[in-house]
Order: sequence, then C-alpha cells, then structure tokens
Amino acid sequence: MSTIPALALERLLEGEGFAKKPGGVLLSGLGARLTRASELPARSGLFERESLAGWLAAMPAGEALVELSARRSCGRFALALSALAAATSSGQAAALVDLGDHLDPQGAQSAGVDLTRLLWVRPRRAKEAVAAAEMLLSAGFPLVVADFGLSPRGARCLPDAAWVRLARAAEARGAKLLLMTPWRLAGVAARTAVSASFSRPLWQGSGRAPRLLSGLCSRLTLEKDGRARSGLSETLSLPMAGSLAGS
Amino acid sequence: MRLACIAVPLFPLAARLRSEPDLKGEAVAVCEGNGNAARIVAASRRAREKGVGAGQTLPQARAILPGLLARARDNASERAAQEALLEAAEAFSPRVEDAGDGVVYVDLDGHPAFHESKTQNPKSKIDCELRLARDLLAVVEKTGLPARAGIGASKLAARVAANLPDSPHVVPEGEEEAFLAPLSLERLAPELAIAETLERWGIRSIGDFAKLPEGEVASRLGEAGRALHATARGIDPRPLTPRAPPLTLTEGMDLEWPVTTLEPFLFLGRAALDRLMARLEAQALACVRLDVSLALDPDGHDARAIRLPAPTRDVKTLVTLVRLELEARPPGAPVAGFAFTALPDQPRRSQLSLFGPAALSPDRLAATIARLAALLGADRVGSPRAVDGHRPERFSLAPYAPLPPPDFAPEPRRKSRGLMAVRVLRPPVPIEVIASDKTATDLRLLSLKASSPDASPAISGSVKVAAGPWSLEEGWWTQKPADRDYWDVELSEGGLYRIYRDRKDGVWFADGVYD
Repeated sequence: MSTIPALALERLLEGEGFAKKPGGVLLSGLGARLTRASELPARSGLFERESLAGWLAAMPAGEALVELSARRSCGRFALALSALAAATSSGQAAALVDLGDHLDPQGAQSAGVDLTRLLWVRPRRAKEAVAAAEMLLSAGFPLVVADFGLSPRGARCLPDAAWVRLARAAEARGAKLLLMTPWRLAGVAARTAVSASFSRPLWQGSGRAPRLLSGLCSRLTLEKDGRARSGLSETLSLPMAGSLAGS
Repeated sequence: MRLACIAVPLFPLAARLRSEPDLKGEAVAVCEGNGNAARIVAASRRAREKGVGAGQTLPQARAILPGLLARARDNASERAAQEALLEAAEAFSPRVEDAGDGVVYVDLDGHPAFHESKTQNPKSKIDCELRLARDLLAVVEKTGLPARAGIGASKLAARVAANLPDSPHVVPEGEEEAFLAPLSLERLAPELAIAETLERWGIRSIGDFAKLPEGEVASRLGEAGRALHATARGIDPRPLTPRAPPLTLTEGMDLEWPVTTLEPFLFLGRAALDRLMARLEAQALACVRLDVSLALDPDGHDARAIRLPAPTRDVKTLVTLVRLELEARPPGAPVAGFAFTALPDQPRRSQLSLFGPAALSPDRLAATIARLAALLGADRVGSPRAVDGHRPERFSLAPYAPLPPPDFAPEPRRKSRGLMAVRVLRPPVPIEVIASDKTATDLRLLSLKASSPDASPAISGSVKVAAGPWSLEEGWWTQKPADRDYWDVELSEGGLYRIYRDRKDGVWFADGVYD
C-alpha cells in the first residue's frame, strides 16, 4: 500500500471536509485515510476511496491477505461484491470462492460485477475452499475473494499453517486475497483485519404503516493494520438495490 | 534426391527401456513367446557381454546369466516409440516414411541446411549433411531412443549407412556403388537360398557380387537374384512413401504383471503421460481430450474419455483427472496394459498488454479449472450468468473464458458502488413461523425458527420488524410453478432474512440473508 505524504494527506482530508483535529498527529498507513466514526458522514450507495469500505473494495496491489470478519447481515457479502466489481470493471479477472453457494448473479451484476470476468467456485467444505483459493492464486488471478459463508463447517479445524500458506501464495504472485469470514480465522496470517458489527437495518415507515426495507447500516472497524492495532472505525451504509421483482 | 534414414538398433529393447528407464544399465533381454519356448529378441550390452544373444531361449540365456532381467516384447511401447521417432523426424521434414521396427526415412530435399550445401563444394556438402544428421540424432535422443543416422541418394544407401558403426554416415551423391562395394554381402540381407549359393560361389562382398553380369545372375538366381544384384549396384527404385500424420498421439505399455491397485498404475501412467506431453510440446500442441484405454486381465477391455475444459499439457492435472476417473469407476479387473491417447489441439495464447491489466496464462488457467473441476465437480466451477425470470435462486453457469483485458487500464473510479447484497440460501431452509392473524391479506409474524435443528444456517428468533408480503408467481404453466408470498424479516437476535410462504402448500422457507 502506498503511503501518502503527510502534507498531501492533510490536504486530502481537508478537501473531503474532514476537520483536522487541533494538535493531532497525522496517522500513517491505512489508518491515515480514516477518521473516527463520529467524524465520518454516512455514505449512501457509493464508497469514498478514502473510506475503509472504499479501500476494501479497491485494495491496492501488495495487500496479500486481508480478512473481513462479520456476523450475518453486517454487509460482508456486499463488500465482497464491491471488491469483485472494482476488479472486473477495470478489466481484471477475479475469482470468488463461495463456500456457502450464496452468490446471486443478478445481484452481483447490479452491484457492478462483470460476470464474464468472474470465476465462481462453489466448494462444499472449508478445506476444499482453502485448496481452491490456493489453486486460483497459483493460476495468477490478481484478486481472489474467499467467502466462508454463514457457518462454515470444519473451518475451525483448519490449521494456522493453511492461512500462512495462502498469504504466502498471494504474496509470491503479487495477488490480493480477500477472506470473508463469520469470525476471525486467519489469525496472524492476515496482514490487515477488518471487522463489521452492530448491524442496523433501515426501514421506511413507522407505527402501523407498512414497512419497507431500504438498507443496512453497520460499523466497520480496522482491527489490525500490519503489526499495529488501529481500532479505527467508520459507519458502513448500504442501500437496497431494488425490490425482489427487480432482483 | 537426398534421404536420411534413422534406425534404432535393437528396437524392441530400446522401446522397452524408453518405457522403463530404470532398467537402463542392467542386464536386460526382451523375449518373444511363452514359458521355456520364449526366445531372446534383443539383449542389452551388459547381457551381450556375458554371452546372451538373440535367438537363444530364455532358459539358455538364464543358464549363461542367472541374473538376467527378462521382459516380454511390448507392442504398446514399440508403437509409441515408433510414433515418437516419426514425430522427431517430422521436425525436419514434412515427408517422412514409416518403415517400421525403429526405422524412419526422411526426405531432405528442400531442407534449408541441405539446400545451402548444394551451392558448396562436395566436401562442404558432406560436412553440412553430417551436421544435419547430428541435429536429427540430437532430436531423436530427446525422445529417449538411441538412434543411428545415414544419408544417401536412395533408401538402400541411407539404410546401410545408418547401420554402420560410425554414425552418422553420409554417402556422397553418385558414389552409392563404391560405398557398398567393400561391405559384406550380409548387409543386403539376401534370402537364405541365394546367400548359400553365393557362399558356394565364394562371393563375400557386395562389390564382388555387383561385378557379376546381370543376365547371368538373373538366369541362375531368378527374379530375386536379379533384384539383389541391382541393389548391390546401388540401384534402389523404391520411392519414399510419406505417411499421413495421425490425428491423435498415443503412449502406453503392456504390464509385466497385472496391476490391482491404483497407486502403481498411476506411477506408470505418470511416466507415460510425461512422454505424451513431451511429444505434444515438441509439436506445440496441447491435449484437449484424453482417452484412457485399459487392457484387463485375463481378457477384457475398458475405455474412458476425459474431456478437458481447455487444451493443457499439465501432467499433474491429467494424473489427478485419471485418478478421479478411476476412483469413481474402477475397472473391475486387474489392469494388464494401458494406453493414453491425446486428442491434440492448439493451446490458447494470450497477448500481453503493455499498459492494461495482465491476462491470465491460458495454459495455467485451463489446468487450474480442470483441477478444480476434478476436486469439486464440473458443475461447481464456471462463470455465473444472469437468467431471465423472477425466482431469486435462479442462476446458470457458463464455461469460464474471460475476454482479453483492455489495452489500457481504465481510470480507477473515484467512488465504488456499495449496495446491500443478498446471500441466497441454496436450497431454501424450511422454517416454522408463528403468526398472530392467519388471514391471507394480513399476517403478523411473531417468531420463526428452522424446522430442523441441524439446518444450516441456524435461524431462530422473534420477529422485530417484518415487511411484506410481496407476491411472486412464475411458471404456472410448468411442472414446477412458483407461487410465493415474500417477507423481509428482522429478528430480535440479529439477522435480516428474506422468507417466503409457498401458497400452494403453506410451507415456509428462508431463501436469503441480507448482507
């Protein structure tokens, strides 16, 4: 990940409307691009590149293994599709290892994924998912998204060495591996770890009026950035793409 | 006309050693026949030094050399070796004749190196042809066959030159008779009766025989004697008969003992696939379909066809596919021999871009997809496609063949899209729903839980907010119509689900999780 010089970062944050904290020290690395949740306005439908979600969606080269752990309905799958959309729309090939067989091609297409450039692999077990991810990295895919579903059976039995091996395979080929897990699995092998929590659905309508689901909010937290423990967080806002009939 | 002859001495033995390279350097003999009647066809140098020779019976040879390793003559190995020899020759000329038993004739007319030698003096021409013959031998050696080469104006001269000990040997143009004259008459392999007659006449060399008047030879030895006399004078009217290149390539071997387990078979099979892929690589081809033919003990046959998603030469992938195929459908009897036949195709090529994103290597991609298909099943790897319709679970899968990347990488978007996604639950999870008002139009959902305690994912909780119903009706004219009422449900324990009730039988399902 390229480091932004301090001055440029300062201008960037000011340009985005982020007030510089008086007497504050500019952070470096990924943390420098983020602000506290209280300072970050909720986005709707579009990720800013300087946000954590935007960074996850368009990870720069050199990020070998990034892990996003989140419980269900916290926006994990939406971020996976964003990353795939960013890669495939720029002409790159990408692979999705979909352990739970959860992909909705129509939904992926509306999220901007170029399906012709996407290889969809549907393993049945966690062990197969790890083996498939390693094969895909070896084949030269620049981005591999491995989603471990909602309750991956056998994932806890995977040895730590498997994740280290995956990270090394990605690093050796300059590829990016985005692990989407319901809980932290990769441990120390993950260069960057992000978690999503505190999911809050957004409903239209109140009282006795009919309700309509309009989106989802959750909190993204940078758990680990390299060797540092950042703890920075932001609000992730995901609007509804369309009604069921349109999906 | 200039022809090259490539001859593999002791061809049955050379073919066997090509299939079993571990035997090289050992005292080995290849036999034909069964039991004590088996006769030695060819023996290795180490065995010959001890006195073992062609024509001996196996007990006789074993009496001389008890530690002699005997192998039966292997037709599959010999066929594959002959094909490999022909393919090596075809790297030099499109006109190649298959003379069988390790002998191949190559038409050198038109070869660039040979064409160059025509303009030079005779000494330079011979040097040029010698270099060409050495190149030929170097290519043949890569196929694992020891060969000799001879170049001459006729097949006879080239063949005799190839059988001389100082290989490669070139017979200058117009000097065929002079070349043959000092050689022993045995080089022409005369018929036994004619050989005995000539022996009685005291004729030992080809030159002595060539000096005899043609008419007298014909009147005494007949048509066969006349043809032999013409040969002795260096006259060989036989034209070169080029072969049509085969559509497939085959490698295999007959096993000494029938194999009953998979691992020994794959050990031998990997070596055969290595040789097959090397042959394909030499022709810049790759395998798009692999046919596995098994000879079963005592009398049977089994054949399989393994189709590959794209042409590949990756041996590891092919071995994995063969393993999975045989594990899925075992042959049912011991395997006494096998043959792998590759249907060749042009490997996919990719053009690297200077400024755009790098394309995947087609060869590696094909090998990876084949391995993934072998690991997970062919229906679980591919490129997803959107399908017309309204059922949320619909999808189709197409073979993965990505378009080439653009020449210039597009500008990265300032903002990327972030929309709430739905995880489709395939198959839908049956659930039990408790509702307060059970009317078709107004249904207040109170709580829900998965019907089975082992359901994955586990779904349970009281309903915090519910939105719906939305009706979906599709395919009423088909055998499997969809007639559903959908709700979006937020549970108090967390989780946002898409559930539906089948209007036909009233059963509830969860078919998606908003994420």
